[in-house]
Amino acid sequence: MSGQGNGARSELSRRTAEAEGRAQGLNVGWTVFSYLLAGMAAYGIIGWLVGRAVHVSVLFPIGMLVGLAISIGFVIYRYGKQGAATQPRSTKGADR
Amino acid sequence: MTGDVNALASGGCHIFSGCGFPAPGLQDFEWKPLFTIGSFSFTKPMLLAILAALVVIVFFWAAFRKPKLVPRGVQNLGEIAILGVRDQILRPSLGRRGDSYLPLLVSLFCFIYIMNVMELIPILQFPVTSRIGFVWPMVFVVYFLYLYLGVKNQGAWGYLKNMIPPGVPAPIYVILVPVELLRFFVFQPFTLGVRLFGNMFAGHLLLTIFTIATWYLLSLSVGLIYAAGSFALAIFVFLLETLVTLLQAFIFTTLTATYIASSLEASH
Repeated sequence: MSGQGNGARSELSRRTAEAEGRAQGLNVGWTVFSYLLAGMAAYGIIGWLVGRAVHVSVLFPIGMLVGLAISIGFVIYRYGKQGAATQPRSTKGADR
Repeated sequence: MTGDVNALASGGCHIFSGCGFPAPGLQDFEWKPLFTIGSFSFTKPMLLAILAALVVIVFFWAAFRKPKLVPRGVQNLGEIAILGVRDQILRPSLGRRGDSYLPLLVSLFCFIYIMNVMELIPILQFPVTSRIGFVWPMVFVVYFLYLYLGVKNQGAWGYLKNMIPPGVPAPIYVILVPVELLRFFVFQPFTLGVRLFGNMFAGHLLLTIFTIATWYLLSLSVGLIYAAGSFALAIFVFLLETLVTLLQAFIFTTLTATYIASSLEASH
């Protein structure tokens, strides 16, 4: 009986861990995608505005590339550490 | 729906009969009004959205109007839906403290799923969420809640400050501000809505293309082989869409739960 109980508990905790990983993965995946778009758009707009002011139209694509580079750098900084994305956050651990 | 498609459906238009392929397109997502009241036109997608809401309301009312300790019949289905959302979506993101959001997430999941799955039901055969106008209100509700909870729990300034994770050097902080603002207020809600819309739009278009192509290619010639191939693809896309309808409802609800979780935490 105890063995069965332990087995059921470990199966439940495995499923819970799987579901947590899936939720975290989805969130991280779409956040990263949003960062890439936002970086290009934010610095693309800044580049376009500056380019309009100084009459240098090439600042628009340069701004987009700079924004993309900033986004990629930040994504690596924030999510690049091994396991950082899959670890449950400390504030949620106790109440589960 | 287009005149070309209607002409095809009426039976006359086949390959080698001098009739061009009536390719489906954006026009197949436009509907003639069922009726109009002044300048307001009531269309089939609106009817389906109301129907989806009624299905969800009536289903849960029937399931739990007289709940039994040992569930039977429709109560079983209701409990499967609730426990599924709780254990696969809510608890992994929010833990037990998020149980108060269970009614919202269950309703959202079921409503989106019913609207999606209407694509596969004969006569209805149109996914309401393939019209982006039906997706934005849900995104606005979710985002308003997300912002409200964030400001309520962390304060307006704390919430804005916490958008950028702690430990980032000050010069990088300044560089990241425009990216974070745009991501948070524009691209995150945009991707939340467009993903659901795009998947259902593309799925419906594929299903329409292969169904129409099957009928168009049907003839007593080599076209019969093409028609068989197109029919096989239509069946494949149909089966794929049974999965996609569920998956898109799941993804939308899961992301809603993770957004709520990040609003309740000090940093996200």
